[in-house]
Amino acid sequence: MQGRLRRLVRAPPPRALLSRALSSSPPSGGGGGGDVGSGVAVKQVTRGNLAEALEELRGRVREAAFVGLDLEMSGVTSAPWRDTFELDRADVRYLKLRDSAERFAALQLGVCPFRWDPAKSAFVAHPHNFFIFPRKELPSDCSSHEFLCQTASIDFLAKYQFDFNTCFREGISYLSREQEEEAVQKLNLLHQDRTCASSTTSEEGGDMPLKSASDILFTERMKMNFKEWRDLLVSKPDSHLSGNIKCAAGQFQTVFFKMRPAIMLIGFSSHQLKLIQQVLRKNFRDLVYICTSGEDDTSEKRVVYSDTDEDKIMLMKDVQEDLLKNREARVKSAIGIRHVIDLLSSERKLIVGHSCFLDIAQVYSKFVGPLPSSINEFALSIHKIFPHIADTRHLMSVNQAVQKLMRQKSKSLSSAFSLLYPASHSCVEKPSSLAPVRIEVEGDETETSCFISGAKHEAGYDAYMTGCVFAQLCTYLDIKFEQLSPQDNLATNNKLHKHINLLSPSWNSGTVIDLSSGMERPDPGYMRRYPAAVYDNIVLIWGFMSKVRPKEIKDCICKVFGPGSVTSIFSIDSTAALVQFTKRESVSDFLDLKAVLERTDSAISILHPMSTILEGGQTRAAKYDTYRDICSSSESKYLFADQAEAVCATSKDLLQENVDDNLISDVHQSILDGTVLTSVNKADGTNSGSKNEDDADITCQHILDALHDGRALFGRRMRS
Amino acid sequence: MAAPRAAAASAKQVTRWNFAEAVRELEAHLGACDYVSVAAQKTGAPTGWRRALPVDTAETAYLKAKLAAESFQPLQVAVCPFLLRNSSPSTLVAYPYNFHLFPRDELQLGMPSYSFSCQSSYLSTMANDGFDFNMCIYDGISYLSRVQESLARQKIFTPCLRQLLPSTRISVADSVFMSRIKSRIAHWRKGHTGPSKKDDDPLISSLSRLLSGGESYGSRPSMSIDVCSDRQVQLVLEAVNHISDDLVPLVVPDKAGAARAVCVIFTSSKEDKNLLLMDIQKSEDEQNFKYRGFREVIDLLSSSQKPIISYNCLNDLTMMHSKFVAPLPPNMHEFMCSLKLVFSNVVDISHLWRQIGPLRKAKNIQAALSFLQRQYFVPMEIKMPQQDGTSSVAKNEQNVLRITKLFAKLSNLLKIGPECQLQSGEQCAAVEEYCNIFYPSCMVEDSDGVDFANEPDTAKTVSTDNIIFLWGFRGKSVKELKSYLPGLHQAFSEDFEVKLLDKTCSALIFRNSDTAMQLLKEISSESPSLNNFFSEGLKAAGFEVYRKVCRLGLWDSDLAEALDGVSSETADSTLSERNSSQIYWNSSSMLDLKEYLEC
Repeated sequence: MQGRLRRLVRAPPPRALLSRALSSSPPSGGGGGGDVGSGVAVKQVTRGNLAEALEELRGRVREAAFVGLDLEMSGVTSAPWRDTFELDRADVRYLKLRDSAERFAALQLGVCPFRWDPAKSAFVAHPHNFFIFPRKELPSDCSSHEFLCQTASIDFLAKYQFDFNTCFREGISYLSREQEEEAVQKLNLLHQDRTCASSTTSEEGGDMPLKSASDILFTERMKMNFKEWRDLLVSKPDSHLSGNIKCAAGQFQTVFFKMRPAIMLIGFSSHQLKLIQQVLRKNFRDLVYICTSGEDDTSEKRVVYSDTDEDKIMLMKDVQEDLLKNREARVKSAIGIRHVIDLLSSERKLIVGHSCFLDIAQVYSKFVGPLPSSINEFALSIHKIFPHIADTRHLMSVNQAVQKLMRQKSKSLSSAFSLLYPASHSCVEKPSSLAPVRIEVEGDETETSCFISGAKHEAGYDAYMTGCVFAQLCTYLDIKFEQLSPQDNLATNNKLHKHINLLSPSWNSGTVIDLSSGMERPDPGYMRRYPAAVYDNIVLIWGFMSKVRPKEIKDCICKVFGPGSVTSIFSIDSTAALVQFTKRESVSDFLDLKAVLERTDSAISILHPMSTILEGGQTRAAKYDTYRDICSSSESKYLFADQAEAVCATSKDLLQENVDDNLISDVHQSILDGTVLTSVNKADGTNSGSKNEDDADITCQHILDALHDGRALFGRRMRS
Repeated sequence: MAAPRAAAASAKQVTRWNFAEAVRELEAHLGACDYVSVAAQKTGAPTGWRRALPVDTAETAYLKAKLAAESFQPLQVAVCPFLLRNSSPSTLVAYPYNFHLFPRDELQLGMPSYSFSCQSSYLSTMANDGFDFNMCIYDGISYLSRVQESLARQKIFTPCLRQLLPSTRISVADSVFMSRIKSRIAHWRKGHTGPSKKDDDPLISSLSRLLSGGESYGSRPSMSIDVCSDRQVQLVLEAVNHISDDLVPLVVPDKAGAARAVCVIFTSSKEDKNLLLMDIQKSEDEQNFKYRGFREVIDLLSSSQKPIISYNCLNDLTMMHSKFVAPLPPNMHEFMCSLKLVFSNVVDISHLWRQIGPLRKAKNIQAALSFLQRQYFVPMEIKMPQQDGTSSVAKNEQNVLRITKLFAKLSNLLKIGPECQLQSGEQCAAVEEYCNIFYPSCMVEDSDGVDFANEPDTAKTVSTDNIIFLWGFRGKSVKELKSYLPGLHQAFSEDFEVKLLDKTCSALIFRNSDTAMQLLKEISSESPSLNNFFSEGLKAAGFEVYRKVCRLGLWDSDLAEALDGVSSETADSTLSERNSSQIYWNSSSMLDLKEYLEC
């Protein structure tokens, strides 16, 4: 689904696409002919049935030829300007994708193993749909677990009946590999601390002065109760068995703890518990206060009787070990959904996704660790985890026959699926299309309750569709499944081999990245909408008045730098644009001119053609690298101009003026020397210290001409 | 969680399907009531040092509330108009409503919110409490703030009725234009009023319709007349007016909002015309719903001018301001002025309960309520005339009902009465006395426990000059710090308090501001007496740096990281331009917003 959702959210104009998507296939109903949204049993996995589902999945993956994978996320872009553009440089594009993968949550993971059954000569698929929710599972974990939701994406999921209640209540949590390591380390540290502390003295904590009368009375009462109970134990060791002791007015429930008599402390406030500990410490050598964590996160407090000091030490050791085991078990269970990823990784099967770069980045950021800073580092590390990844969207572009079939069609998953798998009854054989590969879905008959008929944009079903599309694409690549033994890994097939591990970072990147080498190269099949960008020739402008259209910016600049000086202009959002000049020098010329105009507080700045851009006084400009820095910031403002300001406010050096004062006055002088401008200054009443004192009536045209001259002059100086 | 007494009652649940009806009811109830209590359920609250801390001044507390208001999304807003009668026993009549919200982009303009933050711990607590997310997301009511609405109105234009202005002088050109239009319309109209030619071939009738330039508006025939100025619109309207009463002109705008054409609709009778006008009104209402949505409720609250009773006011009202009124201004002063224009009287319930001595220590609303229950006898009859019959009660409703009840009891104890009751002879205080004083909640909001804070209840004011932020101590506890610092510099041998602000940074509060200032000066001049201090990797800064961190909005990192970045940049410049202000060094810190309203 990713391809579709992403395109829906990103591609301009989203409204048209969305309505098309909705009208072409209504999500509900489920009985559509061309839409095989129904009838496919998808196993739903939540917290409750993860353990057994995992066991079953392990077997399924082991015998699978390949595994379909899909993710549903809470959003794709955190602000409109964070969309990936065709014009983006590779590093900028990666930063945008990284931002998306880090900010948004994964809500569903679809995993669908496909096994080749030679007897049936068909694939057998087992779609699984895992609900994910990043819950805080470990008390030691102090990361904030905040995630972003993109309103449009959430609304989109809602239109396809996504069950948010199940997701938030029953979703499976996870720890990434890094988080797990950290948790284990903390655990060991904690354990060491504890064992040290308990072996010395438990006197720590200091005495609490008893301030109020109620505290004193309570302490006395507790002392009496404990004494009575202890005396009873010492005098009549059997009495403990007989149940609750009378003396404590029914306040205590007697139990056994590790074969020793004990009483449960229930219903005391934390302050009272502190007082009780103090009483025990001061008055009873043979009573030990013990706090253990019981089931479902509650802690249980007991007072345990242990008659000798050795026994006491043994008891403490026992408790500590229990605690450690308990904590270890909790870390293990907190790994949660990552077990699925670990499983897929360890089986080294071919993973198939549709337009899956972002999905893979999500998987990495959620289940492995923070995303690396560059795309080739990322590619190499993901290659270690998933050695074979195939992208069906890329596969569609490598085969002539498929391209012909898909011509003029949307490249989205559901469109590819319905094209390659026309519903059997309405199958009109096209001359160019091959017969569909047979695929069966196997549900588990024993427990039908957790199977729900799959629907579009549910991760489990999308993973299934991806796998189906992949199988069909394989037949176009002339791969014979009949020769496939059940244990074979498809990834090693030599017809497929040259097409795997190639992913497009985004639908409009026009490049593919080779995961095995980390190199990104142009995709020959991609049709560019814009001329290739030369990043050294690009200026980033932001903060101009929102009424200024990109066309006007271009016109303004052309007026100053001459027609044809601007190759293209690309609007980032209503507050920012990228301008590509034909010549590289124009970039710094432009920045210098802007700086000069801003410093010159006179008629020049008002009458200059650039004033349209500079109007409002908030306009900023910088080289392309600043764009990268702004994209890499963790801030997220809705408008680019706000974002840029926020980033620049935090790091001043980012936006240092590109010219030093000397140069400016130099340039200024050169403009002033161009005869006429001095008189403007004079007419304004500002005495700019120029020696040139002509009194000439001038017109606007004069000024404009002078500015052109000035620019030319200034350009010459720059070059010399 | 113990089921509180309030759980017995439930509010009217409002989604987009019953919103219009609920708004009408609410309007009536608002008119009849004395006060309105309000509570909101959001997708998260700030964590770590981004919460309001005891060291925060009103200004920094506001900046933090602003951050929370801008990042989190309200999913439910409970509104409860109620009236109080101080007869004995006093009577409380409440009409709780629970509105479900979702910021759906109804107009496809990327509004009201492109994205929002969620805190997973918050969401899972809500889920455990039985919060219905599907209901919220599928059927929640959307909204636009006042500012967003005016932006949207500049972008989307729909055909509308327009008033005919009193006719001005008409030039020759005008009259030629008008007579031409008039004859076109009259000719077209004749085709529909003339004796019906039912026997006509349908082909011929449709052909003739085609020729006369007729279109249809719904089921009614209409024709469209292109115009190119507002002047021409007036002329066409006038022409239509002259011809007949059975024509309804609608002005059709183009993309930029200027009139493009006038669509003249033919109605067959007076009833038909009324029907059409009603239809137009209805579609306008629908459009208005898309523009305003839930904000209708906020506008009602605002225009009713009833005192708003809320808990956690600073957070809830900044949220309401940013979502339903306008983006939050950069400082507290402007916020208060702006808020005042919307809600003139806001009562923070926690300010009210602090007026009763023994209650001062109550940490949260639940604690205050149960304390009152135990210690005071306030007989009260509670009526809730409208019941929804649903058994599950969202936390939000519980809160709004608790606020309502607590306010009722407190106003009884404090003898606060709505103005209308002043005739009873008793000394009554006006609720206005307690208005617009907010407490930033540094209290743990989510704990439902009824424990009282075990700390001294005397809040002392401390100048920001006495505070030093200390970081770089690598996870030492407060106790460890207190024993470790005095060895490093003689300034630490004096009496000071330590409070951890997050896991990386703590605040030291000195009794004597000179000590703090002196220490800061030595730190900035890197005096050799601090060699031990520096070599331990410790760093410190004054309040000015913290203020700057908040103002710049460096919320993304740990406090230590943020302070480090700012202090290295402005090490010496800040010392000169310091302005000290007061904080209330206690968890029960108070912001008297009246100070901010001297405008």
